[in-house]
Amino acid sequence: MSIIKVSSLSFRYSDVEVLRDLSFEVQAQSFLTIAGPNGAGKSTLLNLLCRTLRPKSGSVSIDSIAIDSYSTKALARKVAVVRQEFIPVFGFTVVETVSMARTPYLDAFGFETNADRKIVADALEMTDTAQFASRALAELSAGERQRVFIARALAQDTAILLLDEPTSFLDLKHQVGIYDLLKRLQLEKAKTIVAVTHDINLAAQYCDEALLIGADNSYHIGKARDVFSPQQIEKVFSVRAFAGRVGQEKFFLPLGKFAKDTGIITTDSNSSRQK
Amino acid sequence: MTNLLTARKLAARIALAFVVLVVVMFVCSLIGAESISLKAVFGRAGSQQTVNTDYEIFVHVRVPRIILACLVGAALACSGVVFQALLRNPLADPYILGISSGAGLGAIIAVISGFTWTLWGRSPIAVFAFAGALGTVWLVWFIGRFTGRSHVTGLLLAGVVVNAFFSSVIMFLTSIAKSDRVFSTIFWLMGNMTEEDFFVLWVGAGCVVAGVLALFYISPQLNAISFSEDDARTMGVNTARTQMLAFAIAAAITAVAVSLSGLIGFVGLVIPHAVRLVFGPDHRQLLPLSAIIGGAFLVAADTIARIIVAPAQLPVGVITAIVGGPFFLVLLVKYTHKVGWLGK
Amino acid sequence: MNKWWWLLLIVLCWAGAGFAIFGVSADQNRADTLLPRKTDRIVSMAPNLTEILFALGLDEKVVAVSNNSDYPPQAAHRNKAGTFWQPNIEAVIAAKPDLVITLGFSQQKNLAQRLKRIGYNSLTLNIEKVSELFEAIKKIGEATGRQWQASILVADIRKKLDSLSSLVGTDDRVRVLYVVQREPLRVAGRDTFINEMIELAGGENAIGTTVHKYPPIGTEQVIACSPEVIIEPVMGQNHPTGQKDRAIQYWSRFKNVPAARDGRVYVIDGDTVSRLGPRLYEGTEKIARCLRPELFTN
Repeated sequence: MSIIKVSSLSFRYSDVEVLRDLSFEVQAQSFLTIAGPNGAGKSTLLNLLCRTLRPKSGSVSIDSIAIDSYSTKALARKVAVVRQEFIPVFGFTVVETVSMARTPYLDAFGFETNADRKIVADALEMTDTAQFASRALAELSAGERQRVFIARALAQDTAILLLDEPTSFLDLKHQVGIYDLLKRLQLEKAKTIVAVTHDINLAAQYCDEALLIGADNSYHIGKARDVFSPQQIEKVFSVRAFAGRVGQEKFFLPLGKFAKDTGIITTDSNSSRQK
Repeated sequence: MTNLLTARKLAARIALAFVVLVVVMFVCSLIGAESISLKAVFGRAGSQQTVNTDYEIFVHVRVPRIILACLVGAALACSGVVFQALLRNPLADPYILGISSGAGLGAIIAVISGFTWTLWGRSPIAVFAFAGALGTVWLVWFIGRFTGRSHVTGLLLAGVVVNAFFSSVIMFLTSIAKSDRVFSTIFWLMGNMTEEDFFVLWVGAGCVVAGVLALFYISPQLNAISFSEDDARTMGVNTARTQMLAFAIAAAITAVAVSLSGLIGFVGLVIPHAVRLVFGPDHRQLLPLSAIIGGAFLVAADTIARIIVAPAQLPVGVITAIVGGPFFLVLLVKYTHKVGWLGK
Repeated sequence: MNKWWWLLLIVLCWAGAGFAIFGVSADQNRADTLLPRKTDRIVSMAPNLTEILFALGLDEKVVAVSNNSDYPPQAAHRNKAGTFWQPNIEAVIAAKPDLVITLGFSQQKNLAQRLKRIGYNSLTLNIEKVSELFEAIKKIGEATGRQWQASILVADIRKKLDSLSSLVGTDDRVRVLYVVQREPLRVAGRDTFINEMIELAGGENAIGTTVHKYPPIGTEQVIACSPEVIIEPVMGQNHPTGQKDRAIQYWSRFKNVPAARDGRVYVIDGDTVSRLGPRLYEGTEKIARCLRPELFTN
C-alpha cells in the first residue's frame, strides 16, 4: 500500500524547470533515499511532499488523499520534516525545541498534557539526547543538534518522516548513528522514511528503494542495487566512478582526472557489475 | 522533564510578577513632586471649605498617570516580544516597522494643520497619531508582501524605506512650521505621561488586556515561528495567518500606546530580553511576564522622570533610554555568551 | 477566524460599557464661560500673566506663579508652579487654586484642560498680539471682578502708546532689525508683536514677510535688508554692557550695513520687550529711544 503517491509532478522556479512529469510511489513503512546532483530538485521534491511548495502541475497524495485537502494541522500529524540543523536566534532548550512538535496536538490553552510529555521524553530517549534536555541548542555539537531535530520530528508522531540531507557536515560516527536511528525508526516504530542524501554509499546500506533524479529531469526509482549502477552514476552525476561490491550492495568511488587510481576505471570495473 | 512549562508554574510566576507590579504602582503613587501622605489621602475629599489636596493629587493626578504608565509599558513590552518573534530578530522593537514615524507624521500633521477641535476632549494629536501609526503599519505590510519570497526580509526592508521617507517628510514639515507648534510636536514625540480621564484609561486597558490575551492564545505558534518559519509550517502552524494576526494585534496595541503617550523607546526592546534571559524564550511565559514587568518598569521610570528634576519633569523616554541603554549592553554581553548566536 | 471577530466585539462592548459608566468629558473647546466663582487664590502660569495680575492689584490673591515670573519682585517669592514649557500640575493643585490662568500654546492649554477635567477653574488666553493683550487684560478683569481696574490699565497703556506715536510721527520710519539670537542668527519677523512694537515706536522691520515668526537668516539677507538700527535684547542675568561690547564686535564685520557702520547697535533689557504684558509701553519706549534718540532728550 503506497503511503505517498506522486503523479506527473512538475515544478519550475521562474523559467528553470526543476521537475518534469515525475511519478512514483512510496510504500508504507519503507525507506526511500533520494539522490542526484545539485540542482536536480531533491530538496524541491521534499518541499513538495510536505506542501512547503505547490506544484505547477501534477499531484501528491498522502494516504490516498490529495495533499491539498489536508489542513495545515492535519498534514502536520501525517508528515514531519527534518531539515539541516541550525542554531535558532532565541535560546530554546532541547526539550523546548522537541516539545514544539506537539503544537498540532495542543489543547486550547496551549499546554502539554502528560501524554505529550511522555512522547517528548520517548523521542529524547530514542535519539539519545535526553542528557541534554535542559541545555540550549547553541551548547551542543552539530551532530547532537541534528539528533535533536530528529527527536522533534519523532515527537511529532507522524507516519512519514522526510529528511533533507540529515548527515551533511557530520562526522562518520554521527552519520552512521543517524542512519542507524532512521532504520530503527522504520523497523521499530513503523515509520516511512524519505531521506535526501548526497552520500549514496551510506544510503544504499540502509534504504529499501532509491530515487535517482538527474539534472535533465530524468529519474529512476527501484532497488538501490538496480538504480545505482556505474553507468547511471556516470550519466546522472557526470563523473566516472569505481564500483566495488561490499556484500548485498555496492559502493562507488568517484575518481577524477587527477585522482591517484583514476586508471582503474576501465572496462574492468564495468564488467564487475554483477547481479 | 523539569524544564517544561506547566500551567501551574506559569500561574505562579504571573501571580508573583503581578504582586511586584502592584507594589511598584502603590509605592510610586506616593512619590512625586509634592509630598503627600497616605493618611491624608484617605481622609477623603475635603468639604466645601477646605480641599483635600493630597486626595486630589493622589486620585486625579497620580493614579491615572500610573495606570497609564502601566498600560503603555505592558503594550510596548508585549509588542516588542511579538516583533522580535515574527522577525526572528532580537534587535526588533515595536517601532521597527514604521510605527514611530507614522505616528510622528500623524502628530505633526495634526499640530501644523492647526486643528482645534477635540474628539471628546482628546486632542487631535492622539487621534492622528493613532491613525498614522496604523496606516503606516498597513502600508509596510502591503509593500512587504510584494518583495520576494522571504516575508520577513520584505517587511524589514519596507519598514526601513517607509521610516526613512516619513522621517524626511516630518523634517520637512518641521522646518516650515511655526516654532511653537514645532516644539510641541517634538515634545510630544519624546514621550510623556499625563493623566487621562478614566474613560480613556478604561478603553485603553480593555484594548491592551485583550491584545495580551489574544497573543497568549497564539503563543505556541509564536514559539514555532520564532524558531524557524519553515519548521513552523511543517509543524502545523498556519504561518501566514498567525503572522498577520500577531502583527495586527501588536501594531494595534502599539498604536494605542503611542497615541496616548508619544514615543517611548527601549521598553519594547529591553524588557523582552530581560524576561527571556531569566525565564527563557517560551512565549506562553514571555508574553504575560513581559507585559507585567514592562508595566512596572515604565511606572518606575515615569516616577523617576517626575521627581528627578522636580518641579520640572523629564520626558519619560529619557529615563527609559538612560536605564535601558546600559542595561541592554549588559544583556547583550550575557546573551551572546548564553546563546552564542554571534558565534555561529 | 470566528473567535477573533468575537474578541473584537468584546472589546467594543467593553468600550461601550466604559462610555456608559464614566461618560465622556464634555467638549473642552467651548468658550471659557466665566462663572462668578470666587477667585481668592489665583495661579499664573506665565510671567506676563503674573505682571497683569499684579498690575490689576491682585497681588494678595496670587498664590503660585510660573518659575520665571520675576516681576514685580514680590512675585518671585510666590510658590512655584512649574516652568513655562512644563507646568507642574501637582504644584498647581497643591496651591489649592480657585482660578488658574494659562497661555494658549499647547502645553499650557493642555494643562488647563486637564485641570478642567479634574474640576478646577481655568482660563486660557492667547497673547500674541497687542490687541490680544488688551483683550486678555479685560478678560482677566472680568474673571476676577476687576473690570474697572482692567479698563483703566488698558486705557493708560493706550494713552501712553498714542502719545509716543504722535511724538515719533509716521514718516521717516527707521529700518530696524531686532535680533533675538546671534548664533545662529534669528530675528523677529513681521508677524510678531515685537514688530507691532517697532511700528508703534516709529520704525519699520528691515526684514520682509517671512514664513517663520522668528526666522533664522543668513548674512546675505542682513546686507540686503540694510537696517539702520540693530537691537539686541539682553536676557535674564546677562550683563548689558558686556553684551553690548560683544554685540558691537560681532556686527563690526558687517561693514556695509548702515547700522554697523554708524555704530547704531543697541542692547536693551529684554524682559520688557519680549513679554507682552503691562510694561508694553516701557518696552516700546525703549525701542523708540534706540530708533530716534534725538527725540528723547533727558
